[in-house]
Amino acid sequence: MRRNTPLITLLTGGAFGIILLIASMLATPSKAPTGYSAAAPSTAASAATVQSSSPAASPTLTAVASANAPFGADYAGRVHGSHASVAISIHGTQVIAYACNGSVVEAWLKGTAIGGQLVMTGKNGARLSARYDSRRAFGDIFADGIHYTFSVGTVHKPSGLYRATADVRGAMIKAGWIVLPDGTQVGSLESDADAAAPSATAAPPLDVAAGTAQHGSTVLRVTAISGVTGSGF
Amino acid sequence: MTAQPTRPVPLPPDRAASGAAKIVIPSLIGALVALTLGLYGRLHHPTGIAVNIAGFSSPGSVKSWLATTAAVFALVQVGSALVMYGKVPRVAAPSWIGGLHRWSGRIAFLMAVPVAVHCLYALGFQNYSTRVLVHSLLGCAFFGAFTVKMLILPKRGLPGWVLPVVGALIFALLVAIWFTSAFWFFSTFGVKR
Repeated sequence: MRRNTPLITLLTGGAFGIILLIASMLATPSKAPTGYSAAAPSTAASAATVQSSSPAASPTLTAVASANAPFGADYAGRVHGSHASVAISIHGTQVIAYACNGSVVEAWLKGTAIGGQLVMTGKNGARLSARYDSRRAFGDIFADGIHYTFSVGTVHKPSGLYRATADVRGAMIKAGWIVLPDGTQVGSLESDADAAAPSATAAPPLDVAAGTAQHGSTVLRVTAISGVTGSGF
Repeated sequence: MTAQPTRPVPLPPDRAASGAAKIVIPSLIGALVALTLGLYGRLHHPTGIAVNIAGFSSPGSVKSWLATTAAVFALVQVGSALVMYGKVPRVAAPSWIGGLHRWSGRIAFLMAVPVAVHCLYALGFQNYSTRVLVHSLLGCAFFGAFTVKMLILPKRGLPGWVLPVVGALIFALLVAIWFTSAFWFFSTFGVKR
């Protein structure tokens, strides 16, 4: 061959891939929450240092805006070593999380998000302990006696966490869906959510665009849980 | 005229060894490409962030359609290769068959690249199920094998079986990758935009 066209093809594809990779990295939001470094969750001492140093500089519009707006983020993804998934929504210092494997293993958790640490509890001994920054949350979760570790990235609607409750013949139904970025849904439904240790089954498929799911003759309407907008908190 | 006695020509170096050497370095480079992709996918924390192309229902469907189109062009690859090698009875290779083969290959490769970038960046190298583990491994192997083919194509003196074997390997990898992703996606969510 006069010109090495196969090499040109290979290098073109490689350059194309690198350009797309850089574009993806630029498109990935990395808002630095007030008081926390973007790289790693900081201790309380360094968080206080960052907060006290920003008013010293001439106040810019963004500095004032971020000082007043609570940190909000949504994370979702698979846990390590299982089909199960976890979704976490942080709104200020409040955090809601849901873990489920699409059938019987599931737990709703609530807790606090302070200094880059999440501490959450739920019914039936559910616990979540994790660290987070503006790009991911990683840690441990115990649900229905099973221990998972996870490291999940931020997601944006329509991906993320959805919750529906309904009163059916005196029993409260509570369902949760985690919609992953590739469109996969992982959802479970508790048929008696007020019980001390509610049991769960697979949730019916969620129509994300309509915000409804059909459970027998009941139409469940979901609330999107979003730490960014505060919906569901 | 009488034949002049000629000096014996020194035998060329062992031809089998030099032929094999031509494959070794491209294979090593291909293996390095595959390893690099796998390591990046494993070490980089998947963002879950997806770039959505307007008109499709989800990033998963964008990738599934791109991957399916790449697979169709790969079928054109195999068909044109069979014609070029005279394996299709009663079909003589037309003059444009080589061009068809090269361009269908380029298009398939370039369609696979954005799918792979999204996969590595947003989802990462995963092993939580057999399907994703096979997909992650074969996805890396595919680009390694494709690198090998591009690097050995200009080389002369290779045994005749090398190119068809590498081409067949690439095709088999792409089909398996398509089965563990696009086929699964369409089976699970339905064939939709």
